[in-house]
Amino acid sequence: MAEGQQTGSENNQALAGVKVLDFMWAMAGPGSTRILADYGATVVRVESTTRFDAVRMVGPFQNKQPGPNNSGLYNNMNTGKLPMTLNLSKPESRDIIFDLVRWADVVTESFSPKAMREWGFDYESLTKIKPDIIMLSTCLMGQTGPHSHFAGFGNLAAAVSGFFDPTGWPDREPAGPFGAYTDYIAPWYNAAAVLAALEHKHQTGKGQHIDLAQAEAALHFLAPFLLDQTVNGRTQTRMGNRDMNFAPHGVYQSAGEDRWVAIGVETDDQWRSLCETMNRPDLGSDERLATVKGRLANQDEIDKAINAWSNQFSPYEAEEKLQAKNVPASAVETINELYEDKQLQHREHFVDLDHPDFGKTTVEGTRFKFSRTPAQINPVAPTLGRENQSVLENILGYDEERITELVIAEVLE
Amino acid sequence: MLNPYRVLDLTTERGLLCGQILADLGADVIKVEPPGGSSARKLGPFYQDQEDAENSLYWWAYNRNKRGVTLDITRSEGQDLLRRLARDAKFLIESDNPDTLAQYGLSYNELAADNPGLIYVSITPFGQDGPKASYADSDLVILASSGPLVITGDEDRPPVRLSVPQGYLHASAAAAPAALIALYESHRSNRGQHIDISAQQAAAQATQSTILAAPLNDAETRRMAGGAKMGPLEIRLLWPAKDGHVSIAYLFGSAFAHFTKRLMDWIYEEGFCDKEVQQMDWVDMGGGLFGGDPKTLEDYERLKLIVEDFTKTKTKEELFQNALDRGLLVAPVTTIDEVVESEQLESRQYWTAVDHEEMGKAFAYPGPFAKFSEQPIDYKRRPPKIGEHNAEVYGELGLDAQALAELQNKRII
Repeated sequence: MAEGQQTGSENNQALAGVKVLDFMWAMAGPGSTRILADYGATVVRVESTTRFDAVRMVGPFQNKQPGPNNSGLYNNMNTGKLPMTLNLSKPESRDIIFDLVRWADVVTESFSPKAMREWGFDYESLTKIKPDIIMLSTCLMGQTGPHSHFAGFGNLAAAVSGFFDPTGWPDREPAGPFGAYTDYIAPWYNAAAVLAALEHKHQTGKGQHIDLAQAEAALHFLAPFLLDQTVNGRTQTRMGNRDMNFAPHGVYQSAGEDRWVAIGVETDDQWRSLCETMNRPDLGSDERLATVKGRLANQDEIDKAINAWSNQFSPYEAEEKLQAKNVPASAVETINELYEDKQLQHREHFVDLDHPDFGKTTVEGTRFKFSRTPAQINPVAPTLGRENQSVLENILGYDEERITELVIAEVLE
Repeated sequence: MLNPYRVLDLTTERGLLCGQILADLGADVIKVEPPGGSSARKLGPFYQDQEDAENSLYWWAYNRNKRGVTLDITRSEGQDLLRRLARDAKFLIESDNPDTLAQYGLSYNELAADNPGLIYVSITPFGQDGPKASYADSDLVILASSGPLVITGDEDRPPVRLSVPQGYLHASAAAAPAALIALYESHRSNRGQHIDISAQQAAAQATQSTILAAPLNDAETRRMAGGAKMGPLEIRLLWPAKDGHVSIAYLFGSAFAHFTKRLMDWIYEEGFCDKEVQQMDWVDMGGGLFGGDPKTLEDYERLKLIVEDFTKTKTKEELFQNALDRGLLVAPVTTIDEVVESEQLESRQYWTAVDHEEMGKAFAYPGPFAKFSEQPIDYKRRPPKIGEHNAEVYGELGLDAQALAELQNKRII
């Protein structure tokens, strides 16, 4: 078994001893069990070689080579887990899964509600073999309701739960947030839900079933707009980069092609500092603009003045000048520049993994730091079926003969 | 599930969501605000546009189920009271700049000396250390330095953000599972620890791992209206409908082929493409598409026009109903008012009435983030008014009415 995954005494990580059987796919689910794995949970990640996780074929890819083991997205969501392949159409697979359920504290799945019932892996069936199992079922729309069987990706949940419309320019069609937006929110909630259920089990000895609809959890990221609708009956929509509470607030031109600096002024002091940095004492002393109300009413004029100043400098020069005066500003870093970002480097945000075909590949580290029980990231790429043998032998205690039979019967595919 | 635990929530708008998730899970969360109220209370929209600290819908959005006290922690008597509160707390969450609380004698080390089990969660823009740790910040600063901004928006305009600030929501949602991982560990060690959350690192999750393109040596992702460009591949997520827009995951390869096939079958049935197009090999095309083959990319562009010609003849409702019936990756782009009217959310009784008894009204709040079979999330308390629970909470510390009056006179509470 790989380093950092032992269930024995060497594992002093925060979640040592937590055992998870993970049937989830794509991002919203696997992103949450990645967090658990980083902190020491043993996570067996089940796929099949014929119907493997869709994001194994979504980029970015190592060296631009598409392939199930080469996806940075898949690796980023699944590093530290024990990847196992099972052909679910073989009857022997069911036995293996039931053995894993007996072993596990937590079963996680993100299929449509119907699929789990058909396989006999629904919560009720699993409690018959493991009464105190914790099961997380997370799909786009939830386990019940007319849209419960709507399967898909986070871009669809983002569209249907209102994230597209308030993203973009008021005079244009919605731009929509990047990609599968609710997939970036759901992992926090999925992980919190599983951990809360583990706490409940710690207190009472009882497991439970959690029905987490990705769309419903994500709506909390739109809550101020949703309350404006339910309380005031007002429908908010996209407003470019402007903010209802602060001005100036925008993304401004920098020197160079398609380069930008983001500035969000939140206080009157910051406004005066901005004017000082731009060497515009006339604006800084203009009484119309001294308060946020006045600035909100004169944003076109202010934005013009900022662009006229900012377009003389690179985004990083503008960031430096403004931050030196305590004005909230940042270069709009390109995706590739982020790899060189001095703060991300300082925080060791990027982590290299061993990869059987490329020598190494890279994922992101954890997004937070613990003072006493830090994350330990297993530095090996989660290639398809990598831990078949170790799961059957070390976790389930199958003997060599039985494992060989399973290989011959093409169960581990 | 977290009922045995007290949480001191010292956060500003940077961190309110973390405490709310813990409060929804049953913890006794005490929101500690400066006398006069939290800065978050200044954020609109406001109830009936009446700008008042008790009417901020931003405040309402992220403080239900919490009790509220006021406390001036910049003065020594206030610091003493906070230390006393922290003795019985399991969690403390704060979002001040690094070292701010240390100036008041309220650092992790100082509070843990009296309460070694304390889990102390710090939510900041860039983390507790590093070259940007003391940067002036705002939502745009986080998004510009973590990736989501540069990949969102129309190509011919500046990159754009979602109009509800998202940067800190990612950080404060990430803080919830982090706090609960430390709770799990504390059962073994009887010790808490300091957790350091970086909003920059949390929000980088919203790049969908495209942040890895540079280390992986794949093409950089760039923004595109209603989609994104990954190298030469233009992923379009926004499509026209007769009465608005829909989002479609229109992709090829083994993971997507069966969805795409079903969509093309429908398009063929309705006469929008010929048999040759309908019978293309959608699995095979995946390799070419993700591998950047020019001929496949050209075909893809041609196919998109066919899909667009088709979708614009249908309403959002027709497209979504067929997605449900046929198993397609198509979802309506809903506006905020449509989200509130969603039939799916209604059938799951998502919207939850929260009684604002003093107003004689109840308002519909976004509902529980998950349905737990053992202990369902209950919205027991509306967001607290300024100092609403001073007498109750400080009374629990043994302060009598006279002592409270004295503290109030000195404006400590």
